[in-house]
Amino acid sequence: MRVNDEHRGQMAAMSMPALIFTVGMIAFPFIYTIWMSFQLYSSTGQITGSGIGNYQRMVGDDEFWNGIWITFYLYFLSLALQLVLGTGLAMLLFRAKRLPGIVRSLFISPFMMPPVVAGMMWLVILDPSLGAANWILTSLGLPASAWLASPVWVVPTLAMIDTWQWTPYVALIVLGGLQSLPPSVYEAAEIDGASRRAVFWRITLPLLLPTLVTAMVLRSVDLLRFFDLIYITTQGGPSNHSMTLNIYGFRTGFEFFRLGYASALMVTLSVIVLGAVIALNRLRAAVEW
Amino acid sequence: MSMKPSDSRLLDWVNVVLLVLAGVLVMTPTAWMILSSFKPSFEVTAYPPTLIFDPTVENYVTLTEQTPFLRYTMNSIIVTTGSTLLGLLLGTPAAFVASWTRITWPAVVALMARMAPGTLFLLPWYVMFRQVDMIGSYWALILTHAVITLPIVTWVLLPYFDNIPRSIFEAAQVDGCSPFRIFRRIALPLVSAGLAVAAILAFVFSWNFFLFSLVLSNSQSKTLIAASFNFIGEGSTNWGGLMAAATIIALPPLILAAVVQRWLISGLTLGAVKG
Repeated sequence: MRVNDEHRGQMAAMSMPALIFTVGMIAFPFIYTIWMSFQLYSSTGQITGSGIGNYQRMVGDDEFWNGIWITFYLYFLSLALQLVLGTGLAMLLFRAKRLPGIVRSLFISPFMMPPVVAGMMWLVILDPSLGAANWILTSLGLPASAWLASPVWVVPTLAMIDTWQWTPYVALIVLGGLQSLPPSVYEAAEIDGASRRAVFWRITLPLLLPTLVTAMVLRSVDLLRFFDLIYITTQGGPSNHSMTLNIYGFRTGFEFFRLGYASALMVTLSVIVLGAVIALNRLRAAVEW
Repeated sequence: MSMKPSDSRLLDWVNVVLLVLAGVLVMTPTAWMILSSFKPSFEVTAYPPTLIFDPTVENYVTLTEQTPFLRYTMNSIIVTTGSTLLGLLLGTPAAFVASWTRITWPAVVALMARMAPGTLFLLPWYVMFRQVDMIGSYWALILTHAVITLPIVTWVLLPYFDNIPRSIFEAAQVDGCSPFRIFRRIALPLVSAGLAVAAILAFVFSWNFFLFSLVLSNSQSKTLIAASFNFIGEGSTNWGGLMAAATIIALPPLILAAVVQRWLISGLTLGAVKG
């Protein structure tokens, strides 16, 4: 049995460093945040227990509800755009059959660059007075837009930038799904003389649903925590019109140093993300074939 | 789909035209950024915008002369390389053990870390690192960025280890090979391609990560990404410099992504799509 002990010991030794790191940097901080969310941090650094005080406060906080609304507005708008355009792009790529590496690299480039860089470049393009976007609009005889500086357009503009960055990602996932569909169903449809439209709506789309839900899970996790692009461009402005829950929590914690309340906000956001992932996994189980 | 061959050929052409259009839409903003970074300072804010100009590197030169750009770049390289190595060091043996014994906690924890908002971890980290006076240190940044790289390494490598036939391990075990030896001599060489993909993805995501260094760095240890915030402040007057900074920050991820593009997708989708 000595050999077996040695075997077990070595296996433990190989996973132990990762386990220690995980406990120290992920699990313990996670529990610590939950504890912090039940404390009150004064500006002088004093900590007092406040029970569910932070959560009670949240329910009556207009900025919190604004954060929820902005988070979901941005989430649904971006997700819808990316799913529709991503599926369309995937169909185009699928029909093209051969994808040279350079084309693949081109479509990968937006989502491999830092969102912060995307924010910087779009800030210049969308500048209300000197940007190229407004020059194109006015040249076409259309009215110029304030884009990120407009309370009405700031969320759609952020959704547009994120859609530019992540549509190719969704497309490549959907393309993987298309490539794994059994060719036999198409052959059967062809023999039956089904129209292209019927084939798409009745065969392709239903068979693609599990892939689409997978793409939704992956995008939801990022979109519900939307941060970098907003922080670099608007920081939640103009006047809270792009203040997602994540941005609100960050500013509460690191600009106003209300660490307890910020923790409560982040615990709430985590519950929302977890809830969305669980709901989408249920959905995936339902559409699996 | 009973169509005449000519119909089908027409559709192929429409398909190509639409694809080219999509490619142009995807490419134009990036091209505009790179183009603007080479414009003389008086032309970069010209209205209407100009397409023809005398290219110059003055924006890049000003950037290195008037801002601590080289220091930020060094900081980014130190933090990104450090956290990538740490992620590989911790994640590779753990993924091997997880694959062999079919324990699932590493994968589950990796998924949790991927799902939680960064600020959730940043709040307690801030308190913890302040207590031990580590805010602004490279170690605080490397350790926190390893929380990004470790899950990536684990998720990318798990399927590679799973693909090794178990009979190889069992035969080696019968021959008296210890798990250490099996890992070093048999498993590692077989997943070398996976290691490369894991390292590159970990590097890219660590390089791109903004939030942690925004709070945990100081003026000495600031990474490029966190420093881009300063460039925007100056950017209201200096678009050329801003676009030059953006171009340089985007360059390493874009080059690395192009190198591994074929293997990238399955890693990026947590194995949901086989590339």
